[in-house]
Parts: sequence; C-alpha cells; structure tokens
Amino acid sequence: MSSSTREEVHRHIQTVGLMQPALHRQTHAPAPDEIDHTLFRAYTRSSHDVGGEPDVPMRWEEKEEEQWELNTFATCECLAWRGVWNAEERRRRQNVDLGQTIYLGMPYYGRWLMTAARILVDKQYVKLTELIDKIDEVKKRHEQSASR
Amino acid sequence: MSKVHHDRTHHAKIATGIGDPQCFKGKAGPARFKVGDQVRIKNLPDLFYTRCQIYPRGAIGTVVRLVYESPPAEDEAWDNTDNPEWFYSVVFKQKDLWPEYHDTFSNDTLETEFSERWLEPA
Repeated sequence: MSSSTREEVHRHIQTVGLMQPALHRQTHAPAPDEIDHTLFRAYTRSSHDVGGEPDVPMRWEEKEEEQWELNTFATCECLAWRGVWNAEERRRRQNVDLGQTIYLGMPYYGRWLMTAARILVDKQYVKLTELIDKIDEVKKRHEQSASR
Repeated sequence: MSKVHHDRTHHAKIATGIGDPQCFKGKAGPARFKVGDQVRIKNLPDLFYTRCQIYPRGAIGTVVRLVYESPPAEDEAWDNTDNPEWFYSVVFKQKDLWPEYHDTFSNDTLETEFSERWLEPA
C-alpha cells in the first residue's frame, strides 16, 4: 500500500463525515421508540419525490452534455433494448435505490452510470470481482498514459 | 451452482411491433372511474418505490382523461407486468394542494397522473 493510498483513505473518512444527514441530532442506530411515524416516513420516502419540499433557488446554467454523458445514455438505452431493465426499473434504481445523499449529491448522468453498472452486477451478468478488476485495470492504464 | 434466470425477452415478446403501453391495451379490465368523476388520492404506504407523489395525498381532484393501461409503477419497477391498471389524468385546484397559495391565482390548476390503485371515489 502506497502512502498516497493512506492519504486517500483519510481524505475519504473526512469527506463522508460531511455527508451525515443534517438532522442536527444523533442518528446512530436509535432505539425503536425514538422513531415515530413521521420520522419513519421521512427516512423511507422515495428520494425523488421532492414536489412541494422547501428549497433554495437554483442557479440556471446553460450546459451541453459531455461525451461520457451521451455514452452513458446510449449504454442505458442498449440495456433496455436488450431487456436487462425497463425504464421504471432504471428510474427506481437511479432515483431511489441509490439513496438521498447520492440522489442529491452526484451529477445526473453519474447516477445513470452507477446504476448501469449496478444492474449488471445485481442480475449476474457481471461479477463484482470482475468489475473491480476492470476498473483497477483502466485506472492503471489511465495513470500510465497521463504520466507519459 | 445456481444462477437466477432473468428472461430478458419477456417484454419484447409482448411489445415488439406494438409498443408500450399499447401492448397492455385491454388488459386492465373495466375502468373504475370515468371522465368528470371526483376522486381522492389514497395515502397508501410508499415503501421502497412509488410514482404517486406525497403532495396530492388526501386531496380531491377531477378525472379529465383515461390515458392508458399499464402495470402500476410500483410493480413495473421490479419488472412485474402481470397486472396492468388504468391510468388517469387528474386535475386539482392549486389552492387545494398548497395551503399558502394566493387567492389572486385561485383559478390555477395542476394536472398529474395516477394508476387506479391510488384513487378512491370522493
């Protein structure tokens, strides 16, 4: 393990600490009687159902899709054409199953891409060990070409 | 060693050359509601997944269109397509949905879609 890996580990631990839900209360495995109906529903709601929620204004930005975003869209459509998922299963996975932190925190097509990988693992078209090894191989190839 | 088998072609078998939701036409049985009916949106549990928003739950609206027949989103999201339902387009007065909606805009309406299981007669 290189020291840069240890640096990455500690940076990761610092970063996930920032992602605690902002409830301003302790949330480490509460006792059952601390979760009333209102809290249960708030925790288990579908994270895409944001209609009517108080929010701050968002800045409007005119931005074209990047190439990887277009590729991601095409990949996800191919998965549908091949019958791996339907549009509703894709939405369920990319808007709800990923959880609120990722739903609000990741770019739109980032969620599509993560979900495309996930369905291939969930439905046993790809083993997670194969995916891990592939990502590792691509990372190393990218590092080599970047250092050249 | 066993693997779960997913029949990737089951949807293509019914939808190829026909389309979706057209492939579910005639599969939902008689519609429970008709255009003009007053309906209240049910407050059913929404665990794991739903397309029925929280904000219209318990509110009363008017059916303006029977749009198509299709499996409810809560089934289709796990690829269960055996029980299609009628889908309805329902119009609400904005004032009935948002407590602070101003009287100046009391004619404003909102139209959205529900599968039959989310509606009851009002």
